Amino acid sequence: MTPIADPTVAVAPRRRWLVQLGVDSAYVLVGLPLGGIAGLLILAGLTGAAILMPLLLLGVPVLVGTAYLARGLAEAERARLAPVLRRPRVGVYYRPAPPDAKALRRLLTPFTEVQYWLDILHAMVRGPVSLVTGGTVLTWWLVTLGGLTYALWEWAVPLDPADPPGLIVVNNVPLVEVFGLPNTFANRVLVVTAIGAAFAVTLPFVVRLCALLEAWLAHGLLNGVAGLRDQVALLARDRDAAQAQTAAAVSAEATALRRLERDIHDGPQQRLVRIAVDLGRARQQLASDPEAATRTVDEALAQTREALDELRTLSRGIAPPILTDRGLAAAVAALAARATVPIDVDIPADLPRLTPVAEQTAYFTIAEALTNVAKHSGATRAAVVVSLPDDRLVATVTDDGRGGAHVAKGHGLAGLTDRLQAAGGELWISSPPGGPTSVRAEIPHPLADGTDREGGAAATHRPGPPA
Amino acid sequence: MRILLADDAVLLREGLVRLLTEQGHEVVAVVGDGPSLVSSALSLRPDVSIVDIRMPPTHTDEGLRAAATIRQAWPGAPILLLSQYVEVSYADDLLADRRGAVGYLLKDRVADIAEFSDALHRVAAGGTVLDPEVVAQLLVRRRVRDPLAALTPREREVLALMAEGRSNTAIARTLVITEGAVEKHVANIFAKLSLPPDEDTNRRVLAVLTFLRS
Repeated sequence: MTPIADPTVAVAPRRRWLVQLGVDSAYVLVGLPLGGIAGLLILAGLTGAAILMPLLLLGVPVLVGTAYLARGLAEAERARLAPVLRRPRVGVYYRPAPPDAKALRRLLTPFTEVQYWLDILHAMVRGPVSLVTGGTVLTWWLVTLGGLTYALWEWAVPLDPADPPGLIVVNNVPLVEVFGLPNTFANRVLVVTAIGAAFAVTLPFVVRLCALLEAWLAHGLLNGVAGLRDQVALLARDRDAAQAQTAAAVSAEATALRRLERDIHDGPQQRLVRIAVDLGRARQQLASDPEAATRTVDEALAQTREALDELRTLSRGIAPPILTDRGLAAAVAALAARATVPIDVDIPADLPRLTPVAEQTAYFTIAEALTNVAKHSGATRAAVVVSLPDDRLVATVTDDGRGGAHVAKGHGLAGLTDRLQAAGGELWISSPPGGPTSVRAEIPHPLADGTDREGGAAATHRPGPPA
Repeated sequence: MRILLADDAVLLREGLVRLLTEQGHEVVAVVGDGPSLVSSALSLRPDVSIVDIRMPPTHTDEGLRAAATIRQAWPGAPILLLSQYVEVSYADDLLADRRGAVGYLLKDRVADIAEFSDALHRVAAGGTVLDPEVVAQLLVRRRVRDPLAALTPREREVLALMAEGRSNTAIARTLVITEGAVEKHVANIFAKLSLPPDEDTNRRVLAVLTFLRS
C-alpha cells in the first residue's frame, strides 16, 4: 500500500538566514498594505450586501461577488505563504456546483462551501494582525538601518541651542546623557549606533516571529480545511486502490486456478487414464500375444512422455523454475529462445533479483505478450525491453505485426490487466489497426528490501554462475 | 560402472537404482542433497554421477552448483545431470569449463533404457551429452541473417545430433545412412558455418555449441 503523503511535512531545506530574512520581511511588509486593502474591500462588500439585502436580488450577488473576491485574495495569500512556511503551496479545492445544477444553485454555490467563509474571515482579521506585525517589522528595520548609519547623517540633525544637543531626547534629557556620557559627537554616534546594532542582531528573530504569526494564522484559516480534506481524499484513494488490488488478485487467482484445473483435466489426467488402460491391456496380451504386448507398452511409454511434457508446460505456467532459480533476465532469455519469431531482448546485465511478485508479474506479462505475438500479430520480429527506473520495473514488448490487439478481445491480455493490478501495477496496450503493437507493464517497488524477502531465498545464496 | 546417484525424490531414486543394477552397474552411494553429493563424489570417485538438478537445501539448481564444485576439486569428473526441465542457460553453465564428461538430460529420457545407457557410457568416457530439447532451443534462436538457413534439412538433422554429442557412427545409425554420408554432411556443415574441422568428437561438440550459442 502506498504510504500516505503527509501534507504538513516540510520539504524545503533550511534556507540561509539572510534569504529567509528577506522573504519574511517582504511577506510582512507587503502584507501590511495588502491586508488593509483586503480588509477594506471585504468590509465594503459585506456592508454593501447588508445594506442591499432588503432588496434581496441585489444583496445576494454582491455577497457572492465578495466571496469570490475573498477567494482571489486567499489564493494570492496561499502563494505568498509557501516560502515563509518553507513548504509547497497547498492547492485548495473549492467544491463546484453539481453539473446539473440550475443557474440559481450555481450562483449560491459559495454559500455552501465553508472555505469561502473562512476566506472572508481571514480577509477581515488579517488587517489588524498585519498592523501589529507590519508595524513591528517596519520599526525594527528603520531603527536598525537608521541606527547603524547614524554616523553618516548625524550632521543633518539640527543643533538648536534652545534644546539640548542631540536628536533623541528622553524626558528632555539627551539620550547620551541618559547613559551617563558627555554629550559629544562621538558619544552620540556611539549610543545610537549601539542601539541600531541591538536591533540588527534581533532583527531576523523578530521578523521571523512576525512572519510566522501572520503566516500561521493564514495557513490555519486558508489551508486547514483543505489539508483535512486532502488527507481524507488520500486515505479514501488508498483504500479504493487496495480494494481494487485485492479484487484483482482474487479474480486473477480464480481465473488461473480454473484454467489450471481445465488444463490438468484435458491433458495429463487423460493421458494417465490412457496409460492405465494400455498397461491393463498389455498384461492380458502378455500370455497370448507377447508381440502385441510390446507394442502396447511402447504406446504407453509414448503416452507417459506426452504426459510429462504437458506437466512441464503446466508447471512453467505456474512458476517457471528458471525464474525462481535465476531471475527475470535468464527466464526472459529462455522465453525468447523458445519463441517462433526472432526476439530482441534488452535487459540490463546487472538487473538485481526482484521480489517474487514483481518477477512473476513481469515474466507472465512478457510471456503472454509473446504468445500474443506468435498467435495473433503476424509479426516477423518482436522486442522485449526491461528497465528499472526509480522504484519501478518497466517491461515493454513491441512487435511489427498488424495491431488490433485489445484487452477485451480474449487475447489473454484481459487476464494480464488483473495480474498487473494485483501487483499494484499498471498495463498499457497500444495497438492501432495496422500495428505496431506495444504492451507495457509497470510494477511498483520491485526491489526486495530485506524485510520483504519471503520466497526470495534464491536471491541471496547465489553469488554467480559456477565456474 | 560404479555410479553415484543424487536425487531427493525417493520414488525415482529407487526406480533408478533398480534399473542401474539390472543393467549390471554398481550404485556405490545414494544421496539426497547438494553438500552430501559433493563429499561423496570427492571421496568415492565414481565412474559417473547421476545428479538431479533440483535438490535440498535450496530446492533450486543445487545439483548444478554441486556439479560445479565437484569439478573444481576434481576437474573432468563425469557427471550426468537429470532434470524435469531443460534450459539453455543451465547447459551453458555446465559446459563452461569445456572439459567434457558432462551430460544434461530430461528425466523422462531414462525410460528409453538403451539411449540412457548409451548416454551414461558417453559421459563416463569423457563425452558431452545434451538433451535434444536443449538443442532444439538452441536451434530455434533465429538471427537476422541466419547462417543455419544455408543448411539442407538433412544437414540440420546432422547438426542437431552433433550438438547432442553423438559420434559419426551414432549419427549414421540414427539417420539410417552410411558413415561416409555422415562425414560428407559434417564437412559441408563446417564449411557452410565456417568452423574449423575437427576429428575429436568432444571438441567438435563444443565448437558446434559455441556456434549455436553465439
